[in-house]
Amino acid sequence: MTTDPYAAATGLVERCAAAYVSGVPEDAADDGFFGPASVTWRVSTDLASPVAGLRSLLMQALHPLAMAGVDQHSGWRRDPVGRLAATSAYLATITFSERAAAAAAAARVRRIHDHVRGADGVTGRRYAAADPALLLWVHAALVQSGLAASRAFGTPLSADDSDRYVAEMRVAAELVGVPWPLVPASVADLERYVASVRPELRCTPAAAESMGYLLDPPGLDADVAGFWQDVRDAAIAVLPDWARAMYGYGAPQPLTPGRRTEIRQSLGVLDALVLSEPGVLEARQRITLRMRAVRSA
Amino acid sequence: MKARRLAAAAMAGGAAAALTVVLLRRRPGRLRYRRGLAALRLFVRGGIRYAGSAPRLFAAAGEQRQLLREDLALQTAEDVADTLGAMKGVMMKIGQMASYVDDGLSPAVRRTLARLQDSVPPMSPQLAAAVVAEELGAPPERVFARWDPQPIAAASIGQVHRAVTRDGRAVAVKVQYPGIAETITADLSNVALLRRMLRITAPAQDVDALLTELRERIGEELDYTREAENQRLLAAYYDGHPTIHIPAVIDELSTRRLMTSELSGGARFAELARWPQHERDLAAETIYRFVFRSLYEVGAFNGDPHPGNYLFHGGGRVTFLDFGLVKHFTQAELQPLLQMARTVCVEHDPGAFRRGLEDAGFLRAGAPLSTQAIVEHLAVFYDTIREPGPLTITGDYASTVVRRFFDVRSPVAEYISVPRSYVILQRINLGLFAVLGELSATADWRAIAEEIWPFVQGPPSTPMGQAEAAWRARHQAIAA
Repeated sequence: MTTDPYAAATGLVERCAAAYVSGVPEDAADDGFFGPASVTWRVSTDLASPVAGLRSLLMQALHPLAMAGVDQHSGWRRDPVGRLAATSAYLATITFSERAAAAAAAARVRRIHDHVRGADGVTGRRYAAADPALLLWVHAALVQSGLAASRAFGTPLSADDSDRYVAEMRVAAELVGVPWPLVPASVADLERYVASVRPELRCTPAAAESMGYLLDPPGLDADVAGFWQDVRDAAIAVLPDWARAMYGYGAPQPLTPGRRTEIRQSLGVLDALVLSEPGVLEARQRITLRMRAVRSA
Repeated sequence: MKARRLAAAAMAGGAAAALTVVLLRRRPGRLRYRRGLAALRLFVRGGIRYAGSAPRLFAAAGEQRQLLREDLALQTAEDVADTLGAMKGVMMKIGQMASYVDDGLSPAVRRTLARLQDSVPPMSPQLAAAVVAEELGAPPERVFARWDPQPIAAASIGQVHRAVTRDGRAVAVKVQYPGIAETITADLSNVALLRRMLRITAPAQDVDALLTELRERIGEELDYTREAENQRLLAAYYDGHPTIHIPAVIDELSTRRLMTSELSGGARFAELARWPQHERDLAAETIYRFVFRSLYEVGAFNGDPHPGNYLFHGGGRVTFLDFGLVKHFTQAELQPLLQMARTVCVEHDPGAFRRGLEDAGFLRAGAPLSTQAIVEHLAVFYDTIREPGPLTITGDYASTVVRRFFDVRSPVAEYISVPRSYVILQRINLGLFAVLGELSATADWRAIAEEIWPFVQGPPSTPMGQAEAAWRARHQAIAA
C-alpha cells in the first residue's frame, strides 16, 4: 500500500504512560465531567482497558471516511507512537481532569478537526473530521469497546451499569462536537446505532495497513511479541464477527476460562510495565483515593 | 564449605550472567520495548551482590508502604486480586528474590522493582482481622490477649502484626493476603508466559532450570506450614546455641495462611553498620557459622539472606528470621560441593577439582579448556578459604566475585551451567557475600571452614568456636 518507511515505535510504553499521567490532576478543583463515582472511571481503570483501546481503533478504522482522515492528515507513519500517546493523553484528560482542562483539550481537538478535510481515495466521498456523523462513529466504537473488553477480560459491568456507562459517555461525544440528541444513551441505543452504520463500513487499504502495523509492529522482539500477541488476540476476539470478517481475520480461539486467564496474565505483565513508569503509581493512587472517598461517603 | 557454596554460586551466577548479557545486548531496531525489557530483566535477576544501598532501599520501600499507604489499604479480597492478581504477585515474588542482589542494576530496573513493591499497600485492619478469624476461628481480639491492628512489617505476600498470646507471650503474627495463594498458584501454572518473560534474558536450558526452581520455591512460600516446619527444624537444631537464635513457632496459632512465632527485638542491619568493627566481625562469624552449619548438618539452606532477616543483639548473638525460602539438600547434592572445596583448598588437586565440577554438572565434560584456566577462573570464589589466617571480606571483594560470575567473556563461562538443584544457591551465596562484604568482616574464614567441613572437623578456632563446640557436645550428649 505505501512505501513510506514507518517510524520506529520506540517508547510506546513510556510515552503512553506519560500521556496518562498528564491527564490525572494532582489537586483537582472539581470532579471533571465524570467523577470518581462514575462507571466511566471504573471502565477506564479496568485491567482490560488496553484491549478496549485496541478494539476501538480496529472498529473506528472500518469507517472509510474516519480512516481516510487519519490516514491523510495525522502523519501516523512518521510518529505512530506520538499519535497513540496523543490519543491516550486526550482520553485521560477528558476522563480524569477538571472540567476546564477537559474542555480545553476538547476545544484543541475540535480546532484540529476543522482543518481535516478531504476525499476518501477508495470511494471518492468527501469527508470532514468535524462531521458529527464521523465523530459519533468514533465515539460509539470507543464506548462499545469499553463494554466488550471489560465483559470478556476485566470486571464485567451489570446491565444497569452498562447503560449508565453509555449514558455518562455522551458528554465525551458532545465535547468533540456531536449534538447531544444524536448520541446513544443506553446499550440498546448503542447497538442499534452500530448496526445502522454497518453498511458503510469496510476494510479499506488504509485500514488494513494501519491496523496491520498496530497489531504487529515491525521489528518487535520475538519474545515480547509473544505477549503483545495475547493483547491483540484479545482485541480481535471481542470484535463483532462481521468486523473480524471485514479484516479477514480467522475465527478466534474459543475464549475458554483458561484462555481468558492467560490473557489477563499478559495484561497484568503489561500493566506492571506501565506501572513502573514515572508518576503512574501516584496517578493511580490519586484515582483510587478519590474513588474510595466517594464509596465510603 | 564456603568454598563449595562459592563454587555453586559461581555456576549459578554464570547462568544469571548469561541472562544479563543477553538483556544488555541492544538489538538495533528492537528498542521499542527497551523499557519493557528493563522491567522484565528483574524477573531473572539473580546471583549478584546487592549494592550498598539496596538493603536500605528495600527496607525503605517496605516501611513506606506501611506508614504512608494506610489510606490505600487493601480492604477486600477483590482489592487483593486487583493488586496482586494477573501475574503481579508472581512478578513481585520473583523480583523480591532478586531484589537484594544487584551488580549495579540500572536505575530503571531498580525503580521498577521498587515500584512494584510500593504498589502493594498493606491490608486494612479489618481485612487482616478477617484473615485471622478465617484461619484461627475467631477474631484476633479473642484469639490473642492483645492485638496490634497496625502491621509492623511487610512480609512476603502478607504482613506482620504484633500480638500477645493469652498465656502472655509476645509474638509476631504473619498474616497472608486472602486469596493470594490461589492467585499465585494459578499464575505460576502459566509456564508459557513465565518462560517467555525469562527467555527474553536467558538461554533456553537455563530458563527451564530457573523456572522450575522458581516455581517450586514460590509455591512453597505460599504455604506457611512449610515455613513453620523449616523454622521448627532449625530452632530445634540450634536450641541452646551460644549465638544463633531462631524464634520458636507457636504451633497452635499457625496455619497455612497465618504463622505465629516468638517476637524478637534486636538491632537491624543498618544499625549494626554503625557498631564497632569487632561487633560486626562477631555478627559476621555467627552468620557464617549459621549458613554452613545449616547447610552441612541440617541440609537446609535459607534462601533468603536478606539483611532484613537478621536481628543483632551484641556479642555476636543474632536472631534469624523468615524461613519461607529454605532449600533442602540431600547428602548426594552436598557431596560435590564438599568435593570441590576439598580438592581445591585442601588437596590442591586441579584435576580432581575439574572432575568434581564435571561430575556435578557444573562444567560440560570435555570442554576444550586447560584445567589451569578453569581453576584460575573459579579460584576467586575460594580466595577467602584457600589459606589460613585472618582475612577481611570487603565490599570490593564481593564485587569482584560477582563480576567474575558475570564475566561471560571468559572462555570458561560458556561451558559452565547450573544444575537445577543448585540454582537457588546463587541467591544465598551472593547474598551472604554481600552481607559479609558490607560488614567488612574479618576472620580466619579458613579456620572456621575447617571446623565445619565434615571432612576436616577441625578444632575450635575462635572463642565463638569454643562456645559452639561446648554446645555441640551437650547436644550430642542429649542425642545419645
